[in-house]
Amino acid sequence: MHELSPMAFAISSSIKVFLVFSVSLAVVAFMTLTERKVAGFIQDRLGPNRVGPFGLLQPVADGIKNFLKEETMPATANRPFFIMAPMLAIIPAVVTFAVIPFAAPLPTPWGVVGMVVADIPIGILYVLALSSLGVYGLFLAGWASNNKYALLGGVRSSSQMVSYEVALGLSLIPVFMLAGNVTLTEIVWQQQLLGMWYLFPLSLAFIFFVISAFAETNRLPFDLPEAESELVTGYHTEYSAMKFSMFMIAEFSHILTASALMATLFLGGWSIPFWSGDHMFWYQGMLISGFGADGAPVAAAPALWITLLTLLSFIVKTLFFILVFMWVRWTLPRFRYDQVMHLGWKVMLPIALAYVMIIAATILVLDQVGIEGFLFGAVLTLVSLLCTGIFVFAVDRDRIISGSTREPAPPAPRSPVPSGAGVRRVLPAGSPASGDL
Amino acid sequence: MPATVKVLRRPAPGQTSYLRSALKGMGLTFKHMINPDKVTLQYPEEPLELSPRWRGTHVMEVHADGRPKCVACGLCPTVCPANCIRLVGGEDDMGNRYPIVYEIDEFRCIFCGMCQEVCPVEAIHVGQHFENAEYTRERFVYDLDRLMQQDHPSTLLWDPSDPRSE
Amino acid sequence: MVETVTLTIDGLEVTVPKGTTILQAAEAMGNRIPHYCYHPGLSAPAQCRLCLVEVEGAPKLQASCVTTVTPGQVVHTQSESAKTQRRGVLEFYLKNHPLDCPICDQSGECKLQDYVHEEGRPKGRSREPKRVLGRDDFGGDVLFYGDRCVMCTRCVRFMNEQAQDPRLTVVERGNRSVIDTFFEEGVEGSPYAGNIVDICPVGALVSKDFLHKARAWDLDRIPSICPNCSQGCNIELHVRDNLVQRLKPRDNPDVNQHWMCDYGRHRYEWMNRSGRLLLPKPGEGRHAGGNGAGDIALAQSLPEAGSWESVLGDLADLLVDARAEGAEVRAVASPFASNEDLGALRRFVDALGGGRIVFRSPRTDEELPLPGFPKLVRRRDLAPNVRGAELLQMSRVGSDDATGGLDDLVGFEGILVVMGDDLDDMAPDFGAAARVFAFLGPQVPRQLQAVTCLLPTVTHAETEGTFTNFEGRVQRFWPGLHTHGEARPAWQVLDLVAAAVLGDGTVPESAAEAFQRLADDHAVFQGLRYEELGTRGALVNDPVPLPGA
Repeated sequence: MHELSPMAFAISSSIKVFLVFSVSLAVVAFMTLTERKVAGFIQDRLGPNRVGPFGLLQPVADGIKNFLKEETMPATANRPFFIMAPMLAIIPAVVTFAVIPFAAPLPTPWGVVGMVVADIPIGILYVLALSSLGVYGLFLAGWASNNKYALLGGVRSSSQMVSYEVALGLSLIPVFMLAGNVTLTEIVWQQQLLGMWYLFPLSLAFIFFVISAFAETNRLPFDLPEAESELVTGYHTEYSAMKFSMFMIAEFSHILTASALMATLFLGGWSIPFWSGDHMFWYQGMLISGFGADGAPVAAAPALWITLLTLLSFIVKTLFFILVFMWVRWTLPRFRYDQVMHLGWKVMLPIALAYVMIIAATILVLDQVGIEGFLFGAVLTLVSLLCTGIFVFAVDRDRIISGSTREPAPPAPRSPVPSGAGVRRVLPAGSPASGDL
Repeated sequence: MPATVKVLRRPAPGQTSYLRSALKGMGLTFKHMINPDKVTLQYPEEPLELSPRWRGTHVMEVHADGRPKCVACGLCPTVCPANCIRLVGGEDDMGNRYPIVYEIDEFRCIFCGMCQEVCPVEAIHVGQHFENAEYTRERFVYDLDRLMQQDHPSTLLWDPSDPRSE
Repeated sequence: MVETVTLTIDGLEVTVPKGTTILQAAEAMGNRIPHYCYHPGLSAPAQCRLCLVEVEGAPKLQASCVTTVTPGQVVHTQSESAKTQRRGVLEFYLKNHPLDCPICDQSGECKLQDYVHEEGRPKGRSREPKRVLGRDDFGGDVLFYGDRCVMCTRCVRFMNEQAQDPRLTVVERGNRSVIDTFFEEGVEGSPYAGNIVDICPVGALVSKDFLHKARAWDLDRIPSICPNCSQGCNIELHVRDNLVQRLKPRDNPDVNQHWMCDYGRHRYEWMNRSGRLLLPKPGEGRHAGGNGAGDIALAQSLPEAGSWESVLGDLADLLVDARAEGAEVRAVASPFASNEDLGALRRFVDALGGGRIVFRSPRTDEELPLPGFPKLVRRRDLAPNVRGAELLQMSRVGSDDATGGLDDLVGFEGILVVMGDDLDDMAPDFGAAARVFAFLGPQVPRQLQAVTCLLPTVTHAETEGTFTNFEGRVQRFWPGLHTHGEARPAWQVLDLVAAAVLGDGTVPESAAEAFQRLADDHAVFQGLRYEELGTRGALVNDPVPLPGA
């Protein structure tokens, strides 16, 4: 099994770009239908079922409708930015998918083709960089609309993005420590080697990543930038027809990418559990399935059926997370703005930092002791379970998300000392906890 | 229906959990998601079953010989809170009092059914009908002929299985 | 000093003149005893048996409509026995009643409905078939529904006592008794027969004219004065949908007691006439502002409606010019105009130098008196305010059908003001020679080409004001209809123009102020105050003595 010639690489990459782009857009289109179907099912309804069999042509109908609708342009909007904003929103969302490996490498007569559009070494950093760019589209939309609701939506979106980038990055550090790399293909490979999805040894990181991903994609319960009940529809209040549709495509592309990332980082990517036949990795110019007892690499045997099987595995994992996104959306109510900020900065940031320290210390200890392989993962799993248990049962006591009103604070004890310097002031009941943003 | 009151107490601070409650809620929604018993009515194919008390657009009852039962007594325009009935009484060639003009503006109508309640000769009825689509507003002013041609069942104004609406 | 009697009715003491009946005494203290056969304008036969009340000491219930009060009498109208009696009587009344309230014109103002609703049994107990009589044409405007009759005989007594023209009687006896006419013509031709419809307490006698026209509760009742002769009967306009539906007499013991004639009763349609003049505008042939000096194109483009300000302003300018050149003033008034309008016209003409004001009034040779109340006569002048016009030194011209008489104005070259007269019999070029021709009226005149200025005014049904009747009684009427378009009372229009011409800013703002100025200006009206006229009116300072008074 050899690598591709530069020519074949270029041709195969072009085909992959085209295929991945069109398939992901098609998936996005059907996600809109899935979202409405899931919403219907959760609410004991049937969802759209009139256009085509089971309503399958609904996205087509929506697309036609959005193309035919009138494009509105507010008289006082900033015209260039108003037009630019949907593009800025959609491009990062679509492009991010490029680094995600979606199947085992495919053998062809011209060589083995990696099933990833661009297997760049900085993989996850590319994802972080691009998904942060998405906020520019939303904020620009809010600002250029010259509408107070849109502006508020844009401001919320940017502050939320900034806040949760931090937690997102911190929740990824344990993954990097475990994988020793930021290349997504290698992260998949490391999970295969460990024989365990990172979901288990890094369970708290997984939880934080999921929460942050929800916030990054502006999905409920973090959809404050849209917040229909407060801000009409937030940053895209003034948008109609295809421009509006592009924001929707961007949001759903984000969901798709986030789901694929979760699957890749924590669920072993395209690998099929409990089967080593799909272990494949480019190691020093050759495709290996692992290392022999002597440490020599063992060549892998890629096959079309393995590629298809792993693709299926990837699709199932990604689909699961997409469904979770929708399921959560139709279950949880929206947070209050102060709750979002509280959760991001005062809960997730310190705990994620502490978790990084704990995992790092554990890995250090395990390396020193010389434990490897499955036992290594099992110990980490135990430690992570402990951390998760503490988080869920000890920290989550009215501290992660507090209720709308707290019980009235007990009246301040009448101090014999006249109030003045050095006397603690008791906050009045109902006021936001000091330090809340 | 006798009302039941469920008293919910706000939990003490430090006793609530967001994650666990959220998971509980997701369990509930999941149960509904996989529940095959859906409430959606496939409307044009499955007609809506209306309550016997449903009050929709009006029907004018007719005698066997095709005359309207209305005697133009003027009680319905008098009682109508929306003032949507226009009535001009007159006498036909048999000496019977009858409505020369009887118009109901279904747009102004609030479907309270008081016209039916007050009618001494059980002529005007509100009907069990809700599919009212027209191309012009004028078409919603139903004249006497239109009211006599309505063939949907008229309302009972009460539910026979629950006459005291308990 | 009238001798008085004090008695107790339902625990309240009341003092009334001697000779009063218990029913009247109770009425005086606001306690209405149910009754059918009693009517204040008729004799009381005490045959309806509904007004029976308990009088302490009397062995049986007494008919309150005929029992005169005695000192110290104690009357119970609501005692158990009186109520039982009324309930029983009402049940009998309903024995043959068809209960056809939905199609009965009396419904809503029916005494049987009222009393049964108040005190009757919820259900009748009779199982006998009901007697069916159908309906009968009594001639004239009267239809008779025998089934609804309660045999109070008010109609019979009215024809006997007031009209003194016995046309009706009771035939058969007991259960079968029914009102009937002597001859086929019924009440046809009796000039006051319409009153039997008014006094019928139930729906037995109804008006053909009003048949099925409106429900009693839909009608707005506005006190007014009958505009159809100079008797000035007090009436009510019954209005629905901004149309007069019928006229009903209103009590005024000085003028018409409880009655009115059929002639007046049926002449109300003209108040509902359409084709009204809606906006003030210059006449079609003239240009109000240009007066020949302006360009022709402008003159031709001007028969459009204007605002009151512009039209009256232009008219005032023309009048100032004409007055400066010493143009003569002549006016045609109308006896259908109110005292305020006539007074304003008189003032207007005087302000422009004074001139002759004429009016034309329909007249008939026949007087139609009501024998039972000789004061009430359908007078010869068939207009409400002939006397008022005469008191303001306006002279009657023309023939008895209100035509002719204006020949001397045909070629008149001064200022011509026509107020209220429709000029229907005059040629379309009438007044064309006049330097200024102002037309005030509710309808569009034939003389559109000749008129300088068309000023829409209201009819008496649309405004308030006063009429002076034949004997000099000034009586108020109230507005019953909405005005059409921009129409205004004539006194207001004339006063505004006069003020503009004279440069005198005082313009009355209400009919009361207009009347006050009339009373100040003319000795004959002096001392009268609008607010004090009330609903019975007041006599001017030189009333016509009545024959019987």
